[in-house]
Amino acid sequence: MKNETVLKANHIMKSFLLPDSFQVLKNISFEVKSGEFLCLTGKSGSGKSTLLYVLSTMDTAYQGELYLKGELLTGRTLNQLAAFRNEHIGFVFQFHYLLPEFSVLDNIMLPALKLNKFSRQEIEEKAYRQLTLLGMQEQALKSAGRLSGGQQQRVAIARALINDPAIIMGDEPTGNLDSKNTAIVFDIFKELSQSNGQTIIAVTHDNDFAKKSDRVIEMNDGQILF
Amino acid sequence: MPAVNYKIAFVHLTFKIKQTMVAMLGVVFGISMYVFMNSFMAGINDLQTTLAFANTAHIRVYNDQPPDHTNIAERALKGYPVVLVRDSRVIKYTEGIKSPAPIISWLLNQPEVAGVEPQVNSSVFFRNGGNKVNGNLCGIDVENENKLFKIARFMTEGRWNDLKFRPEGIIMGSILAEALSVHIGDNVNLLTNDGISKNYKVVGIFETGERDIDKTKAYVNINAARQLQGKNQDYVTDLQVNIQHYKETGPLISRLAPVIPFKVESWQEANEGMLSASKLRDIIAMAVSLTILMVAGFGIFNIMNITINEKIKEIAILKAMGFSGGDVTVIFLFQALVIGLSGGLLGLLFGYTVCLLVGLIPFKLDGKEHLPFTYHFADFYSAFLFGLVITLFAGYLPARKASKIDPVTIIRG
Ligand SMILES: Nc1ncnc2c1ncn2[C@@H]1O[C@H](COP(=O)(O)OP(=O)(O)O)[C@@H](O)[C@H]1O
Ligand SMILES: [Mg+2]
Repeated sequence: MKNETVLKANHIMKSFLLPDSFQVLKNISFEVKSGEFLCLTGKSGSGKSTLLYVLSTMDTAYQGELYLKGELLTGRTLNQLAAFRNEHIGFVFQFHYLLPEFSVLDNIMLPALKLNKFSRQEIEEKAYRQLTLLGMQEQALKSAGRLSGGQQQRVAIARALINDPAIIMGDEPTGNLDSKNTAIVFDIFKELSQSNGQTIIAVTHDNDFAKKSDRVIEMNDGQILF
Repeated sequence: MPAVNYKIAFVHLTFKIKQTMVAMLGVVFGISMYVFMNSFMAGINDLQTTLAFANTAHIRVYNDQPPDHTNIAERALKGYPVVLVRDSRVIKYTEGIKSPAPIISWLLNQPEVAGVEPQVNSSVFFRNGGNKVNGNLCGIDVENENKLFKIARFMTEGRWNDLKFRPEGIIMGSILAEALSVHIGDNVNLLTNDGISKNYKVVGIFETGERDIDKTKAYVNINAARQLQGKNQDYVTDLQVNIQHYKETGPLISRLAPVIPFKVESWQEANEGMLSASKLRDIIAMAVSLTILMVAGFGIFNIMNITINEKIKEIAILKAMGFSGGDVTVIFLFQALVIGLSGGLLGLLFGYTVCLLVGLIPFKLDGKEHLPFTYHFADFYSAFLFGLVITLFAGYLPARKASKIDPVTIIRG
């Protein structure tokens, strides 16, 4: 499994036409191997988020080609991309974005229920295991809106992991957390990449965070510096 | 579509239960109004029909042959340049139905015929002392007439069957009796168009509630009427025919009309004005209730739009997690469906209850004590259907909007 190419960006270009025409991504090409813990860094406005959303298949308005797990995803329909994301990509956002009406457990189970591959009971057991790993089993039945920021981010990670995705993406996943919680999240990511061979791609402003990861890609003005 | 969509929809519905209730109440109100309006109008229409059938049958056969204006001289002297006939006499060949027996027996053999009533009707003057009132005399078979028209229920004084053994007896409309100032037991004098006059004894008074009838109509035995008119035993002016299903007059008429030289008239033809009035009422009921349903639909549309704006981030997250546009549509459309179904059922129940309650309001008319209501399954059915269609439509537009949300725009803020 290890060292297989799991993501390949081929001459990705993207322009915004509004408010005025400007090229936000300029011919970006790179590859990411499975089990890699990759950080995207760079100045604010350099295009990190924009690139991440293209890589995540949510943004389809770009030129170039995107391969995930060897499949060319460029040009697929929105429904096909949604199904692909559901099975192969996990998301962690800066503002955890849990569904506040649902319990912690339900939040974690949602992507798996959507995937509809396992029974409800299997999914629930797995969600519990995930929570236990993250030291959150106590909060399982609480409403998601009642948790602290650090706890919510851990639930969001558990949710991102429920379908055993090949790639986990995060847009400043620790941007809103204190150093203690940041460390917890980092350790989880490290563990996932090392023992499960899952690929992590995280946009971050935190230089310490980035330094400790496997690989850093710095962006400037829509281009990759190194 | 995974079941999780319905779970999400259900959570949305129950989490903001007040909002859901408001949306549902709109539907409940719209549907119950629909049921109420239509049942009430149907009640009024039925009452009117009943009233109409209190003195006309479903089908009436009578002689309407126009006077013959044929100019015989002109025909005989064909070819002559000038034919001038001054003051030509109009000849009336036939009057009434001279030998009705074959028609009656034919009618009684038809499967849909429920009853046939021969009548001898004429217009007469009613006189009592100095009072002289124009009116209609109806010669009938006492038992048969009651079988067809249930006239006995309108009797205010005396009994209908009293007429049966009283060849000189007469039963009069209440207003007519009052105008002549006659009471039960009094004598009244009748004068025909041919100048024949005869005395009758008042044995009963009726009141149908329809002024035109109560003001002009009186009943005697059919033989007494024949006698008064100087006609023989068979003579009738009208054959009143009732059928099993009063609306289905067409088939019988199309079989009968071509083979007899008399006018065969359905109640629909005779009451065209009444029918268009009831059609108009139906249209009004439909328009009012549909308007209310539309308003309810607009309410749902609004509430769903608000919900979707509130949940726009959650929708974006669902899409990021891999829920498709179709999933999102289902999630919100299902909410509309639940609101429509539950609001619809409650609306039917509530509407029926309102009908029952309003039906308790006293309202005297034609032996009825209360406001009339008629319940048709079709009204309840279409109320439910309209409600559902409108809710689904009102839910579909916001749901489609939600399904088109671009997660990137929302998530990056
Ligand atoms: N929807 C948009 N329309 C126009 N310009 C945008 C849009 N989104 C981002 N930008 C611009 O693109 C550039 C890159 O944005 P972003 O990818 O968010 O940068 P980063 O995440 O590195 O801070 C910025 O200059 C930003 O203002
Ligand atoms: Mg950013």
